Amino acid sequence: MPELVVEDLTVRSEGTGRPILAGVSLAVKPGEFVALVGGSGSGKTMTARSVLQLLPPQLSIESGSIRLGALDVTGASEAELNRVRGGRLGMLFQQPKKMFNPSKTIGAHLREPLKLHSGLRGRAAKTKVLQLLAEVGFEDPQQGARSYPHQLSGGMAQRAMTAMALAGQPEILLADEPTSALDKVLEQQILELLDRQRIQRGLGVLYITHNLASVAAFADRVLVMDAGVVVESGTTETVLGNPGTTYTRKLLEASNLAPTSIPAAPTHQRSALTLTNVVKQFGSGKRKGRPALDSVSLDVKKGEILGVLGQSGCGKSTLARAIVGLEGISSGSITRTVIAADARATAVQLVFQEPHDSFDPRLTLRSSLEAPLRSQKGLTAAERSRRLAAAMEEVELDPALLDRRPGQCSGGQLQRVTIARALLLEPEVLICDEATSALDALTQRTILELLQRLHRDRGLTLMIITHDMDVVRHMCQRVAVLYQGRLVELTDTDKFFSDPQHQHSQDLVSAAIPCRGLHLKKIRAAL
Amino acid sequence: MITFLAKRTATLVVAVLLSSFAVFLIPFVTPGDPVRKIIRSRVAGDVVDEATVRALGESLGLNDPLPVQYLRWLGDFFTGDMGLSHISRTPVVDQVLPALGITLSLVFVALGTAVLVSLPLGIVAALKQGSKTDKLITTVTQSFIAMPEYWLAPLLVLVFALKLSLLPSAGWNTASSIVLPAATLALRPISFFTSAVRSGMIDALEAEHISAARARGLSHVQTILRHVVPNGLVPLSTLFAVWFAGLLGGSVIVEVIFAIPGMGRLLYDAVINSDIPLAQGGVVVVVALAVAITTLADFLHRILSPKVSGALA
Repeated sequence: MPELVVEDLTVRSEGTGRPILAGVSLAVKPGEFVALVGGSGSGKTMTARSVLQLLPPQLSIESGSIRLGALDVTGASEAELNRVRGGRLGMLFQQPKKMFNPSKTIGAHLREPLKLHSGLRGRAAKTKVLQLLAEVGFEDPQQGARSYPHQLSGGMAQRAMTAMALAGQPEILLADEPTSALDKVLEQQILELLDRQRIQRGLGVLYITHNLASVAAFADRVLVMDAGVVVESGTTETVLGNPGTTYTRKLLEASNLAPTSIPAAPTHQRSALTLTNVVKQFGSGKRKGRPALDSVSLDVKKGEILGVLGQSGCGKSTLARAIVGLEGISSGSITRTVIAADARATAVQLVFQEPHDSFDPRLTLRSSLEAPLRSQKGLTAAERSRRLAAAMEEVELDPALLDRRPGQCSGGQLQRVTIARALLLEPEVLICDEATSALDALTQRTILELLQRLHRDRGLTLMIITHDMDVVRHMCQRVAVLYQGRLVELTDTDKFFSDPQHQHSQDLVSAAIPCRGLHLKKIRAAL
Repeated sequence: MITFLAKRTATLVVAVLLSSFAVFLIPFVTPGDPVRKIIRSRVAGDVVDEATVRALGESLGLNDPLPVQYLRWLGDFFTGDMGLSHISRTPVVDQVLPALGITLSLVFVALGTAVLVSLPLGIVAALKQGSKTDKLITTVTQSFIAMPEYWLAPLLVLVFALKLSLLPSAGWNTASSIVLPAATLALRPISFFTSAVRSGMIDALEAEHISAARARGLSHVQTILRHVVPNGLVPLSTLFAVWFAGLLGGSVIVEVIFAIPGMGRLLYDAVINSDIPLAQGGVVVVVALAVAITTLADFLHRILSPKVSGALA
């Protein structure tokens, strides 16, 4: 099997003339697992896209070479490239759900590379589709092939995309943050799947990520990128064990979220939120499936930080949406105890996962943030403007940013603005629904620090919905675990990590132990 | 899907019932004696004296409560008895059906042409977004919006019928009679369809799954054909239905100018002559068809985009 070699690759933006990549060199040998890490905007994704020659139109390769075995990718014809893409070079994308055509079934998507690269059609293609879906862990491949993309959970969609990438029997797989939208258990499963392919058929993997724990577990070598330049490279043990640059050290520090000294759960405190036997059932009649929330009873204490854990699709987001009233509940009750006195609807606020999706792209941030204030009577324009500026300062942002549109801000800035927007309404409880999972480790770190400060200074009650065990360990006092819509465990964070009770909690805890992967590597070396 | 079908069909029925009720009330709310007006639409001979009017009113059930009268009228209507025209004294149904046939063929040819013209224009404009070709297509088709039918129709007649003598200037006798009126009607939909195809295609082109399709090894052309065009055309299906429904009764100007005995012309004449039964027949038929077509387009939309059917079901 051939090797992928990128040498001295420079990519420039035609409009601004700004270099996106400056002299990037890397190599992926068959059977090798290479990680490419770095903060957002460091050029990781554009490196992968250059390899496939699928750069956005405003970017172009200025110099350098990309070779796959004997083939010069930079000089190849379109016809040659079409044979290589999806064939010898497979690609996994971030945000798997957006990467499928919404009007075609998963089966139809998978048949495309089979037809293009293996010449399989009709019955043979159908059989192969089912086989591929079974291989990536679809329990019911028939059903999976018939599904439309929107009917799949994020995890299933990423599996389907993995099946699609493997359909062309690739020699090298470019995996661009394939697991950053998934929970730890799914992440582990997808990466193990890739690793099996690596061992069985010598697949070379270029794994782009900002998650260093998974790098430690799976990668043979690591390249660290910052601002379009590879700042450090070497074996995983060297780079992560003995980082040579401050940037790598900062990355490592940011992703190593040590438990902070947090006071024990305030058991004597009054409740901020009381949920009693909350049931949420989607659909009716024949379409009625398993309830999304199945008699969930939960007591959130005033001033605590509660972590809510669970797999994709376990009902975490539905719970959050039900609490703020975005989703009606089928039965049970939700009482906002603390704020019963003035019963403000705005006393519980929600911060969403995708900062770019939580703003109207056409409005300036000022108009977006002002909207809820306008509904409050007796606020003059000057007063509103003052409160906006104060809220921006609270989240450590320059108020001048208010006059930009969402597209002109980074994900980290926007996520702060989302928090500022929530704070404007003076909430008692802030629910963060995967608020940091779309951000790179450095940005995630600063957002978490901001939340901790707000908790400390304002006595804000926080409900942190996440699949990141490190976040929970780092800042939560209690942990609630949801599994298939039921609350299966509610306990102090210490107890949760030392002695998880429910089977699912045990799976979560064991998948989160970073050294497990290092064991795996030792086993691999021994083979 | 079944539930959706049932719900939409129910809505359709309710819409037709409500509008037909309003239409049924016309003789009661317009000036003059409703009983005499209704008798005139039911009895062929002229009735003058009070006694006969009373007797006929009795036998036609015009003293019954309104809902009862409405149901009877509706039953007659949908079994093909739409009454007699006040003017021509012939059954309304015999005038409405031929007129409907003419208008349907006119609208169909006009919108068919509009689609055939807009599809390539919109697709090319989207694929070459921002280029000179795009600007040319967009500017020209957008200018069509500003060309009203009462201006365009005489212009076309002047050029193609009077100066060049290529096409008939009016009437509905030969196959070529349809060309000028259909062209007049097609122009404005062309501008709306082209812009819908263009923006639908641009959205479809910008979708993130396009790069995933390229990464699977599909060529640019294959990607466009398989993943862009089908998704980009979804908005057109809805727009087409709206225009179709609108033109059924909205082709008045063109039909009057070109002396075409279609629905628009029929409704126009009925109103001008206060021919109540004719107006009633025409309006209810047009409304029923328009509602049916938009419902059909909704079904089509759901078939074309499975996500919509998933979200609503």
